[in-house]
Amino acid sequence: MTEANRGAGASGERILLGHGSGGKLYRDLVKDVFVKAFANPVLERLDDAAALAPHGRIALTTDSHVVQPLVFPGGDIGRLSVAGTVNDLATAAARPLALAAAFIIEEGLLLSDLTDLCASAAATAREAGVPIVTGDTKVVERGAADGLFITTTGVGEIIVAHDLGAEAVRAGDAVILSGSIGDHAVAILAARGEFKFSADVRSDCAPLWGLVEAAVSAARAAGGSAAGAEALHFLRDPTRGGLTTVLAELAEESGLGVEVEEEAIPVSPAVRSVCDLLGYDPLTLANEGKMVMVVALEAADAVVAAVRTTEYGREARRIGFVTAAHPGRVALRTPFGTRRVLDMPVGELLPRIC
Amino acid sequence: MCLALPMRITAVDGVLATIASAGLEQRASLMLVPDARVGDYVLVHAGFAISVLDEAEAGETLDLLREIGAFAPDDGDEADDAG
Amino acid sequence: MTPADELLRLAADLRAEARPGLTFMEVCGTHTMSIARYGLRELLPAGMRLVSGPGCPVCVTAMADLDRVVELARLPGVTLATFGDLIRVPASRTTLAAERAGGADVRVVYSPRDAVQIAADEPDRQVVFAGIGFETTAPTIAASLLEARARDLTNFSVLSMHKTMPLPLKALLELGETPISGFLLPGHVSVITGTACYEFLARDYGVAGVVAGFEPHDILRALLRLVRQAAPAIEIEYGRAVRPEGNVVAQRLLEQVFEPSDADWRGLGVIPGSGLALRPEYADADAALRFPVRLEPPLEPADCRCGEVLRGVTDPADCALFGVRCTPEDPVGACMVSSEGACAARYRYRGLDD
Repeated sequence: MTEANRGAGASGERILLGHGSGGKLYRDLVKDVFVKAFANPVLERLDDAAALAPHGRIALTTDSHVVQPLVFPGGDIGRLSVAGTVNDLATAAARPLALAAAFIIEEGLLLSDLTDLCASAAATAREAGVPIVTGDTKVVERGAADGLFITTTGVGEIIVAHDLGAEAVRAGDAVILSGSIGDHAVAILAARGEFKFSADVRSDCAPLWGLVEAAVSAARAAGGSAAGAEALHFLRDPTRGGLTTVLAELAEESGLGVEVEEEAIPVSPAVRSVCDLLGYDPLTLANEGKMVMVVALEAADAVVAAVRTTEYGREARRIGFVTAAHPGRVALRTPFGTRRVLDMPVGELLPRIC
Repeated sequence: MCLALPMRITAVDGVLATIASAGLEQRASLMLVPDARVGDYVLVHAGFAISVLDEAEAGETLDLLREIGAFAPDDGDEADDAG
Repeated sequence: MTPADELLRLAADLRAEARPGLTFMEVCGTHTMSIARYGLRELLPAGMRLVSGPGCPVCVTAMADLDRVVELARLPGVTLATFGDLIRVPASRTTLAAERAGGADVRVVYSPRDAVQIAADEPDRQVVFAGIGFETTAPTIAASLLEARARDLTNFSVLSMHKTMPLPLKALLELGETPISGFLLPGHVSVITGTACYEFLARDYGVAGVVAGFEPHDILRALLRLVRQAAPAIEIEYGRAVRPEGNVVAQRLLEQVFEPSDADWRGLGVIPGSGLALRPEYADADAALRFPVRLEPPLEPADCRCGEVLRGVTDPADCALFGVRCTPEDPVGACMVSSEGACAARYRYRGLDD
């Protein structure tokens, strides 16, 4: 049984254009698949809009998820769509309050596949402690969508009083990375089968609110005085474009320099091998379960220790620092003490033989 | 002008070999190195083995590569199992 | 001694032993990459110059050849299979990436064998393989062509733009534009060719050459050998992979399938006998014969100095377009597109002076 066809459900039954047209077929699909999977009182009302009661400042984010294949080692589009949005909210130090999920389904998708993917999304949402309270479903003709597209929008309650972002970053701040990079991109590449290899890699796709909450608490405690949680300055997740892109954005937006140690950046042996084989740079590969955190130096050790107690942050470590030198640029220090500039990757990820 | 990776032959099936390197497995053609055997380290370029690496020296390279290149996650937590 | 210590020791030896004013040319694009990746220029003695040569297959492919690849990709029924290296290279008026977006069936493969498999899987497509690369790569295309024949595939053909290495070095020395004390000879080309083909450098021109591997230690060791030679000679540093006689099986395969032809090298012009053309016995697999196309006159981008860069005459930073109008995101010439191009490698180094 292929990963795409795993799970129970009326075998062979497929999504039809009729499922998207608003009538009984549609209503039944919503109840039997979405409401059943996401199961919460707000959603079960099936109102067109969900009423919420947030406290304080809120963060809002949205992401479209288009991944092939729909299921891959370590995750699937369902898990990805929830984790991705939870993680975007987390970069604003926002506890996820509610998610909305819009599904664009290609006519012909197996009902069992849709059910499995929703179950995965639901499990991820439960793990992150956030309900999927509303959604939408459209069905398009065969060929018009790659199986399934999911757009997830999330609302979260910001738990810090200060503004996170590049403006808060200071020279001397520590740059912390929560774990190994390149896993998601390589897992997808292997699963797509265009370059025939198999690799001992699983996507790192995971919701990181718990990890960020631990970092916030540790920064707050280390901050000590009336400064509160101000030791935490910047959070961003290295998705498309990888770690390099986040660091380049950090340098560009803050107007400061960034320096990281190549040896400190964890890369799994399998990811390293695939990169050496195809000519990729692991620092530019997408991740779906990692966080870059920039904190005041005094709080760095405490934040690393706290993140390491969380499920997805066990390999967290300091990888570098912010500096007044080479403003706007990112320098990578090689294991030999030499340095090179890290630039944002350009365009499509292409393997090379030269 | 040529990316080539040292990999170890783990199986041979006619002219095709299964080759491996630290968590990566692939197939490559041995057409250019017909004397290669299971256990040999070969340089692989564009899906073909182009040279059998001198064993003593190959070991040196791979240790070197591991030291400067492959920084595996520590604390016994394998990144592969996240998620 | 750790690898880092050893590298620094090699660098110290080099600084101690090299007399000032030496200029070495690293021929191979992968060496260019390694030097950039490990920040090796920082470790070199102050008076030593390292210039890049014409060993980047993408960079030296003539515009007319690139235009031919594009025209073939545009033919209905043709699947243009290529290494990833060619996708973003600017041809006279377009790129393969742009053509693909416009509907051309362009597919990136890691190995020419994968292109043969496409031909087997899709008998209604005419698979044309864009053959770039030097002696390292040409045997893999030769082997794949024979595999296609053995499998009775009549829908597989090759556009050979392959070139061979020793003759451009001779051309460079004849031009005498840059005084070259020695060459870092290509590591993987030499795996195939062996070293006899380079003897003329020392014998007729008094220029030394050392075949170098690609780890930073290899490169510094090779430079040390160059510096230590009492009289110009050809040596092998990359002994674990390169034998003086080369790979005889691969050489025989090249002779069986290809014959020397005149090749047009960007920046060097036509070098007689430096190309590899399919032998008449393989005319049926020659894409240039099977699909004659009409070409518009090639357009060289104005002010592009790639040619001079490839000859080691101009430093990328001295080109007026460099970093201003010609960047990795928006390249004018091939030297910036190819990750191995001298300009792309130099671009990564700019600005970190402090």
